[in-house]
Amino acid sequence: MFAHRSSHRLPHRGVVVMAILALAACNPSASTSPAASGGAAEAPTGTLSIAFLSDVQTLDPAQGYDVVSWPAERLIFETLLGYGPEADIVPVLATSLPEVSDDGMTFTFALREGVNFVQSDGTIVKEMTADDVVASLNRLLNPNLQPNASPVAATFFALIEGADAVAAGDATEASGIEKIDERTVSITITEPNQTFLNILAMPFGSILPADSPTNAEEVTANPIGTGPFLLESRESGQQLTFVTNPHYWNPAGQLVAQIDFRVNVDPTSALQQAQTGDLDIMADNPPAGQISALLADDTLTDRVFRSSLVAVQFMAMDVSGDTPLNNLLVRQAIASAIDKENIAAVAHLGQPAPCILPPPMPGYDPNCDPYPYDPDHARDLLAEAGFADGFETTLYTTTNDPDPAVGAAIQQDLAAIGITVEVIPQAFDVLLGTIVIPHEAQMVYIGWFQDFPDPADFYDPILSCATNVEGNFNLAWYCNEDVDALAADARSEPDSTARIDMYRQLFNDVMADAPWVPIIYPEQLTVVSERVTNFHYHPAWIFDFGAYDIEE
Amino acid sequence: MIGLVVAAVIGPSLVAHDPNFQYRVSEGGLDANGDPVPPGGRFLLGTDFLGRDELSRLVAGSQTSLSVALSATLVAAVVGTLVGGVAGFAGNPQVTMGLGRTRYQIRLPVETGLMRLTDIVLSLPAILLALAVAAVLRPSQWTAAAVIGAILWTATARIVYGRVLDVKRQDFILAAESVGVSPARILVRHVWPHVAPLVVIYATLGISAAVIFEATLSYLGAGTQVPTASWGSMVSDHRNFFTTQPRLVLLPGLAIVMTVLGFNLLGDALRDAFDPRQVSVGEAAKRVNATSAVRTTSEA
Repeated sequence: MFAHRSSHRLPHRGVVVMAILALAACNPSASTSPAASGGAAEAPTGTLSIAFLSDVQTLDPAQGYDVVSWPAERLIFETLLGYGPEADIVPVLATSLPEVSDDGMTFTFALREGVNFVQSDGTIVKEMTADDVVASLNRLLNPNLQPNASPVAATFFALIEGADAVAAGDATEASGIEKIDERTVSITITEPNQTFLNILAMPFGSILPADSPTNAEEVTANPIGTGPFLLESRESGQQLTFVTNPHYWNPAGQLVAQIDFRVNVDPTSALQQAQTGDLDIMADNPPAGQISALLADDTLTDRVFRSSLVAVQFMAMDVSGDTPLNNLLVRQAIASAIDKENIAAVAHLGQPAPCILPPPMPGYDPNCDPYPYDPDHARDLLAEAGFADGFETTLYTTTNDPDPAVGAAIQQDLAAIGITVEVIPQAFDVLLGTIVIPHEAQMVYIGWFQDFPDPADFYDPILSCATNVEGNFNLAWYCNEDVDALAADARSEPDSTARIDMYRQLFNDVMADAPWVPIIYPEQLTVVSERVTNFHYHPAWIFDFGAYDIEE
Repeated sequence: MIGLVVAAVIGPSLVAHDPNFQYRVSEGGLDANGDPVPPGGRFLLGTDFLGRDELSRLVAGSQTSLSVALSATLVAAVVGTLVGGVAGFAGNPQVTMGLGRTRYQIRLPVETGLMRLTDIVLSLPAILLALAVAAVLRPSQWTAAAVIGAILWTATARIVYGRVLDVKRQDFILAAESVGVSPARILVRHVWPHVAPLVVIYATLGISAAVIFEATLSYLGAGTQVPTASWGSMVSDHRNFFTTQPRLVLLPGLAIVMTVLGFNLLGDALRDAFDPRQVSVGEAAKRVNATSAVRTTSEA
């Protein structure tokens, strides 16, 4: 997913993967909630408040794909699988991890009993059965969803057997999704894929009642899920109030009585509120100008948290357009001309990124640094490429702090080797529309966050040949068939050590082609109130709002 | 005031640094945390959030502010004077038009049309209009100047209109008309001298309004664009540094305040100079001698 602060509704075609600071969906269950203890008899108390820069766009799990909608969905809905404290995959609505067939293509899930769908007023709609699971996955593939098909129907979930027939309108149910009995479901995919369980753990895989409407607005107005919280009320543009689900199957996982999502809150005022205790958790990074002061403030040591994100901020260059950037030497010159140490300082939160995969991701290679900062070498490369006098190009960024500042720093670094860059900041939604048009943006600075903790997510949706068509987010319009072949092998490789080695090789190969200049590995800085007793980041989805406890 | 103009004109050649050059962490432009360095040493007023020299940017900002404000005010003064003057002097003239043998007496709604147009423009929310223009065109300091000019002319138009109406009723105009002086000559010789001082005064005051307007637009990102220095965008860029490094907001803010105050005082001084009723006879006489334009207002 792309790194961005403001949420948005996605364009509906394409491999999208949007930015989220928090990931996928499991709710605190006995196995995942570190704070849950034996005292289940006591009803949870207290209200946890969280501030977001942007609003919840939708509560329909088939549609939501942004930093605020996903955490909201995860309070109401649950998936078959989720993530444990070590980003390990754990069962949620399934009773255990699925049985996998010998060919690695059929997954059989046993479903948890006694799970109820509960609507906003606290009444039970029905008990969850295999029919609901089958219907939810077929709903996700339905091309006639309103206002548009799910952004992942044609990508992540297209590997389910029969998904193509549903997408084409030839069938309403995918042949690969089968009800075995009331408590058992099997899913068959078309080729072995080691990330399939990760895909099911994204909130897109949430289970809804079988008769759920196709229109996202109806689902958003009356969300009916199995999760630990219910949407009690929504003040449009201001606040969403979630209260404890009285019929939740795992009451030990409910730690507070109420969660308030305060939306459209400017980070400057959110920071003030968090410091004074009027707000429990600030979900966005504080403004760059305040960060050094926050980190230096001794009185806040226990309340300021910092973590690296499984993400990379990078500059993509159009490798196949009709510009000097289609020359490998030019791209290598640009990669060598950018002072990432300086940019990391300007951005305040982040480390210089020598390579594509960030350190927390399996497959990260500490020795991968093909283009260290060396402006003299960059000038030589540019001269060798025949552009000794430089050329003019454009760089698109978002308007979100600190991206324009990073753009200005890149502009000056490239000016030093003779390349004149026009920096064009665009609002995030506008920028998304620009970058899906092949060769529209010569260079773009943006961030990519994991959808799930697997290195495939840093290649398949954004660098693979399959995405090198309009409407997708192959920002460099890059396609190397040798690398693609390696990616296909890696996707299906069952041995995890061998698989990680393959990805390490793959990203070194990509770096040799220099379609991207990785710039920084971003970090999250969070200020919480004194009331929050157990704040921690989650390795898979950064925030886990349902798992925080407060003390009045 | 004079200092400001001097700063704008020759300042850029005096300051030690390129206002747009970002000194890296390794070059001492930012500290190890990536924060701006405080005043002193190489950077007299410190650096900004990108490691650029603050003093050089303040000076460069004076150039931006004055060039935008002066060009906007010039546009506003010319358009405002034309609209107000024509509306006031021409009124709604009666003309005779004919088709064949039929003759019609028609009032051309020149005055009504122009002054209602003025009212309409006055009623537009200026900032929204400017943001809309910025959304359509690629914003720059020149689109900002055009928008500011397109809004500020209304004040001049109204004042000129009122003054022309007033002057037109005076006996000496009636006298001139009665002896057959042509309307064009009346306008130039007898009306304009009464209007010109007002135009100058309000243009001077308009400059300060334009400076604020430019700063506002640049603050909102709809005016001067990066990397060109503008006081408004300097305030905007550093609003999050207000508690940690207040000088980054206060210095450009102070520059705006001083400039606006300077032009307001100049406008007031001009008004005093042009208006003999506000000063003693002796003072007025001295000023009459000092200011050639004043002689035309002595009968007012």
